[in-house]
Amino acid sequence: MSGVAVGIFVFLFLLVTVLGFAAARWRRAKDLESLDEWGLGGRGFGTFIAWFLIGGDIYTAYTFIAVPATLYAGSAVGFFAVPYTIVVYPLIFLFLPRLWSVSHRHGYVTPADFVEGRYDSRPLATAVALTGILATMPYIALQLVGMEVVLQVMGLQAGADQPWVVQHLPLFIAFGVLAAYTYSSGLRAPALIAFVKDTLIYLVIIVAVLYLPSQLGGWGHIFDTVTAGFTDFNTQNADAIAAGDAAPKAIMPPEPLHWAYASLALGSALALFMYPHSITGVLSTRSRSVIRRNASLLPAYSFLLGLLALLGFVAIAAGVKVANPQQAVPQLFENEFPPWFAGIAFAAIVIGALVPAAIMSIAAANLWTRNIYRAFINRDATHAQEAKQAKIVSLLVKFGALVFVLALSKDFAINLQLLGGVWILQTFPAIVAGLYTRWFHRWALFAGWAAGMAWGTWLAYGVASPVQAHFGGPLVNFPGTETKVYIAFLAFGLNLLVAIVGTVGLRAAHVSAGIDHTRPDDYTADLGDTGVEAELSPEGAPR
Amino acid sequence: MSQRARWTIVIVLLTPAVVLPLLVGIYARTEPELFGFPFYFWFQFALIPVAAVLTTAAYQLTKHEHPPRSRAEDQTESIR
Repeated sequence: MSGVAVGIFVFLFLLVTVLGFAAARWRRAKDLESLDEWGLGGRGFGTFIAWFLIGGDIYTAYTFIAVPATLYAGSAVGFFAVPYTIVVYPLIFLFLPRLWSVSHRHGYVTPADFVEGRYDSRPLATAVALTGILATMPYIALQLVGMEVVLQVMGLQAGADQPWVVQHLPLFIAFGVLAAYTYSSGLRAPALIAFVKDTLIYLVIIVAVLYLPSQLGGWGHIFDTVTAGFTDFNTQNADAIAAGDAAPKAIMPPEPLHWAYASLALGSALALFMYPHSITGVLSTRSRSVIRRNASLLPAYSFLLGLLALLGFVAIAAGVKVANPQQAVPQLFENEFPPWFAGIAFAAIVIGALVPAAIMSIAAANLWTRNIYRAFINRDATHAQEAKQAKIVSLLVKFGALVFVLALSKDFAINLQLLGGVWILQTFPAIVAGLYTRWFHRWALFAGWAAGMAWGTWLAYGVASPVQAHFGGPLVNFPGTETKVYIAFLAFGLNLLVAIVGTVGLRAAHVSAGIDHTRPDDYTADLGDTGVEAELSPEGAPR
Repeated sequence: MSQRARWTIVIVLLTPAVVLPLLVGIYARTEPELFGFPFYFWFQFALIPVAAVLTTAAYQLTKHEHPPRSRAEDQTESIR
């Protein structure tokens, strides 16, 4: 690894560190001592900032490493990330402005706040909050995995013969710095750093998809090489494939996997904006139209993601041979780019890990503070106490993620990330149905959530792959058929069924449904309406 | 244009952006290629700007929505 690449990498890392700390003074509020300020950046981000922030939030470093890795490894459904990020924006367009409005009127910081206000049910709100925290933790851990892959390819990671602390020192430094500026600047830090991150990522990807194919004989040649390589693999391993010991490789899903592909795309899209970090990004915007305008502007990132995914094929055509597919794209950059540009590319991926890791830890800290700490530990917490608590928890969450990756196996983090998607989708009925109707009964939603969580986890546990006995992948056969579908989707179906049947039963039995603290016009309130701005002052927010 | 008509158009605009990417059977094929890209890939890339245009049109339609002063005036409460 050349000194030039490392020098450029270190320079860019220092640049975002300075920005991260300076962010505390950017769009400065009177003080940062409330969750509206620390945890939601003052709730005032316009279209431009929100585009970078939400983009930085959704398209994480792990995505940038893992999506091309699946194509490199020959997964037939690997490209589902593209339809997934197409489908998600019309859904955001429809659902999230309503969540924004009701959250502004009532000072809600988290989706669990909304569920508690809507259904008057602390158990349901706690379930939503815990699911959010549980699903977010492995996601943060995976950002570390993405970062570490880059550090390894750069040669910045000492060998396994070194003491454990020395071996992971670069990771410790990067994460320590991240924790410090998230603590001091809150959501403003990732919002500001996201500008640098996305500028670098766009630059790198555009150069990569223009320059690399020209070096390798054009896209047609790349696709031909990959197809030929996959066909060879399938011929040579025909016996193992027939015995189920190896998966056949393909560039696109064959007919039996069409439903798998579609259900992965739709299930992931529905799950995405249930993740606490996406909701945090959306609630930090200034008005409903910022969300809607962004739903029409964010697809630019989907295009980028698609191109990036194809770099997995470019790596094959360029003859990159790595045992860990996740190293394919960093290794491709290392082999094909001049050192100074490789340095920029590596910095782009690592900074790409810092932005979502910061937002996710803030989102998890918000959930903890609002829905566990204030709900159970300190019911009369002041705004300053809430902010203090959230800051400390954001440190703990990051530290936990670090321990997670280093002490437990990376596969464990990846398995949990898979489960995280299954789990987070189970909060969909309570949150999204709640934005439109109060028909569902709170206890029926709770039962549906529990059923979906249990069955989804059980199904995922039962999936074996050629390398793993459990949690081998996201797909199972739809009951009674040979058609594979996404586990999250099946669990979601059961969840809805239980919620519907339960609601009918509980209503017939006249079980109390609790008091709805929201009003119909709360769901359409916009900037400038009564109560939308006023309640953001500490005194106005409901206790 | 009434709120209801406006929202019907929004739904009509957004539906293809959600449904088309999920109909894998219509695009999981190699031919016709474009600039060396199999149909499967370039079709999905092409869907991105299509979805963006549809969402932009929907945004333009809803941009000037003003929350009604009284709830009785709004027939579309359940959707906005």
